[in-house]
Amino acid sequence: MKLNKIADWLYVLPVLAVITIIFIIPLGYTFWISFQEKALGSGAKFIGLTNYYTILNSKIFYVIISNTLIYSFSAVFIKALIGLGVALLLNRKFPGRGVLRAFSIIPWAAPAFAVAFFFILLYDLKGLFNRILTYIGLPALRYLGPELAMPSVIFVNVWKGWPFFFLGFLSGLQAIPQEIYESAEIDGASRFKKLVYITLPNLKTVFFTVCLLSLMWTMGDFTTIYLLTGGGPLDRTLTIPVASYFKAFASGASIPQAASLLILVLPIYLILIYLVMKYAYGRT
Amino acid sequence: MPMVERKLNITILTLVGILLLILFVGIPFYWVFNLSLTSEEEAYSPKLFPTNPTLNNYFDLFNPSKAAARAARFENFTGPLVNSTVVALIVTALSMLIGCLAAYNLARFNYRGKSYVSLYILFAYVFPPFFLMIPLNIVINMIRLGDTLIGLILAHLAYTVPFSTWILRGYFMGMPKDIEDSALVDGCSRFQALWRVVLPISAPGLVTAAIFSFTLSWDDLIFALVILSKAENYTLPLAISLFMQGGEVYAWGELAASTILATIPPVALYLLIQKYVISGLTGGAIKG
Repeated sequence: MKLNKIADWLYVLPVLAVITIIFIIPLGYTFWISFQEKALGSGAKFIGLTNYYTILNSKIFYVIISNTLIYSFSAVFIKALIGLGVALLLNRKFPGRGVLRAFSIIPWAAPAFAVAFFFILLYDLKGLFNRILTYIGLPALRYLGPELAMPSVIFVNVWKGWPFFFLGFLSGLQAIPQEIYESAEIDGASRFKKLVYITLPNLKTVFFTVCLLSLMWTMGDFTTIYLLTGGGPLDRTLTIPVASYFKAFASGASIPQAASLLILVLPIYLILIYLVMKYAYGRT
Repeated sequence: MPMVERKLNITILTLVGILLLILFVGIPFYWVFNLSLTSEEEAYSPKLFPTNPTLNNYFDLFNPSKAAARAARFENFTGPLVNSTVVALIVTALSMLIGCLAAYNLARFNYRGKSYVSLYILFAYVFPPFFLMIPLNIVINMIRLGDTLIGLILAHLAYTVPFSTWILRGYFMGMPKDIEDSALVDGCSRFQALWRVVLPISAPGLVTAAIFSFTLSWDDLIFALVILSKAENYTLPLAISLFMQGGEVYAWGELAASTILATIPPVALYLLIQKYVISGLTGGAIKG
């Protein structure tokens, strides 16, 4: 009996070892580095909270937090709208529906780095978007210039990410029993009423699950912004993942300061992780 | 009469929706595909349809004599393509091995502390990997695996292992217990039941988890940036970024062709498992 119990643990031992050694210990190490003057070897010198003061006293810290929130919340909101629209559309019966469903998930299946390069080619001065504008007689736009950079990177994230919402909403729609609609029809409910009183309320759980997951991923999105704008111009698109990368690895950077930046923003992510674990996975 | 009118309205609305959807998704792909077929001379002012469509951009990626024109940082695309594939395959194999064992345990066994094990794995699964870029860079250098593909594989395992465990756990939990129960009654050990009975009938779940692991590794840019520096170790995303210098594209056709190439494997794989994507990602919380 006792041997059996030990054997049970053998199955999860590898996963626990992997997570502990290359996930939890490195995270703890980040915490330790954040109190040092230099990251490596003999240069390590404990300097208390100095790195934290430096970060908290820099204006840019507050800029990157607000950029991250603007980027994530607006991208998730738009992705949810498009995902819901397409799910309602492709839940109708018409020939070719299956092909369109498969077609719709292609942006989401494409690698984030490839999608970023797609839009570098599309946003360019001689890219397609400017070709269309000049064709209809409008001036070309600098999509990645200071004014438009944030909306432009949000658009890229939206274009790549909405199919996840579509897939979630579609399976939510398919789980609604058809009888509810039938009895509503007998009572003479209009299409709009059926949408508002039956469809949307039934999608509530799915909605929270996909929004929380997507918010988590969007707040951790490094690739899109790093490749499209590198956080610029004028830090307009500098988000937490990109800023930490430059703080740690650009020339003249400081790994301990980057580590304390990560520790300072950790609570934001922990709240979100808590919500994801409780509401998105709580029922499994 | 009003009935007919309403039906017609709906069809028009649906058609407009379909058209918008096709344009929204299709236009970016079309433009990049179009550029990838455009000759070098025409790339300076690309047309909506290439006048002389050519596959030269694709061939040039693998043509060593073009390397000089390409910043001379790497010979050709064969190296990065092989590196990305090898890393992704090894990451997939390891995370499937570790993930299957753990997922079966979480789905079927009962012991004290199991809920904490689940929470620990779920925590690692939902935690954004970018937090690991600093410590993994240091730790992997410390164990002398900096700038090696093995180091990159280790970094990828940090998030693909919890991911595949969680996907498989959801899948195993949704499977009927009867078959393995009878195997257990017949004297199979737990491990034999997993190996001989459960795994053979879990193909959709296994394929889904494997494809997720593969693409998570294939798509990675941040750990490749942080861990690799020698050109011979470059994976695809690093090699492709060399087509840009200081924010300027200087090889339009080749950039387009290389992104199309990098997109084909994950898209082909996801289309295979599209039915299982959503239930997999939500660990069974949303049924697909």
